[in-house]
Amino acid sequence: MITINRFDVKTFLTKAVKDVFDTMLSMGVEPHDPDGGGGTDGYRIMASVGVVGEVTGVIAIQMGYGFAKEVTASMLGMEPDEIESTEEVSDVIGELANMIGGSLKSRLCDFNLSCQLSIPSITHGSNFKVTSMKGAQHERFCFHHALNIICVDIYMKAKGDGI
Amino acid sequence: MALKVLTVDDSKTIRMIVKKAFQPFDCQIFEAENGVEGLSAASREKPDLIVLDITMPIMNGVEMLERLKGDGFLKNIPVIMLTAESGKDNVMRIVKMGIKDYVVKPFKGEQLIERATKLVTLAPKKAGDGSEEASKKYFTVDEEFQVLVLPEKITRQVAVEVENCLEANFEQLVRSGMNKVIVDMRQVKEISVSLIKLMMLIIKSCQKVNLRNRIVGTPTLCNELKEFKETSDIPVDASLEEAKAGF
Repeated sequence: MITINRFDVKTFLTKAVKDVFDTMLSMGVEPHDPDGGGGTDGYRIMASVGVVGEVTGVIAIQMGYGFAKEVTASMLGMEPDEIESTEEVSDVIGELANMIGGSLKSRLCDFNLSCQLSIPSITHGSNFKVTSMKGAQHERFCFHHALNIICVDIYMKAKGDGI
Repeated sequence: MALKVLTVDDSKTIRMIVKKAFQPFDCQIFEAENGVEGLSAASREKPDLIVLDITMPIMNGVEMLERLKGDGFLKNIPVIMLTAESGKDNVMRIVKMGIKDYVVKPFKGEQLIERATKLVTLAPKKAGDGSEEASKKYFTVDEEFQVLVLPEKITRQVAVEVENCLEANFEQLVRSGMNKVIVDMRQVKEISVSLIKLMMLIIKSCQKVNLRNRIVGTPTLCNELKEFKETSDIPVDASLEEAKAGF
């Protein structure tokens, strides 16, 4: 755990998420108290990318499906009522996960924690729960855009942490 | 001759962003979802530029690039890599592969164009490209009336097409001494945000150059428009004849 903790995940991830939303969607997001609720209830979509190498884990982003449609419309230059298939929403949210995961992966590599990133996986529904692998460190970071909550979960463990 | 650009990415979203970025230029865009499709498209089209993602299923961008560089016919095509990873290792790997340039995601279309212009000459689309075609698609002249026929579904794309040729058509109408526009919405099946915005734009554009306008629509559409604040007061005629008589 010590190896992963060498860099400040919170500061780095906050910058990465803000950067992705601002650059790709022209949408400002601000940190939100993870205990404040929202983002992980109701019908929602979650996109996750896996990390394998010196560090193993998953980076997952989730948000309400209605907001995900707004995000998709913004990314594709359409109106939310023009988004007809879940495929488009899945592709956009998956791409956001890929960008956020890619930023984090790059940072890990800069700390000599070499690893590879998987392509995104998508889950949507209202009744699912993510549990961490044994011994993985879990941290949740939440953000909000107006009343919409975005949650980013990081589950990670480094080789040689003896877990 | 239009420049050929090949975008290879498993994400439709990214391919769409790349397409949009090159839209203002005289380019023909080809798409592929993975390295295998990318190589096949490259051999077939011999593009002038390839925008290549790294992380893809079936065959990733690194493997596609290696094969590209090993093919005498394709090895000189400039490639811009798109990567979500900006770490030192990744950048070094890309540079060693002989890549001309790379763009780190997240990125804006302008950034991609800035890099592309260093490798190829991007000529702006000739004036009239696209808008002339759209003009023929949506506008007709019926006696002393210009008729704008809207299709069944108004997406933002359709709205943009109409918007792009609206000003030129109305100016031409004014020059020719005509001043009556009929917006025929009888084919429109459902009301969308894009439709409402487009209606407002058409009405404003008419007012700007002193054109008179009337809307034609089905009774169902007429009732639905009454439910929206922006369109509740707009009179809707049931037929072209009624609209013509109403001027």
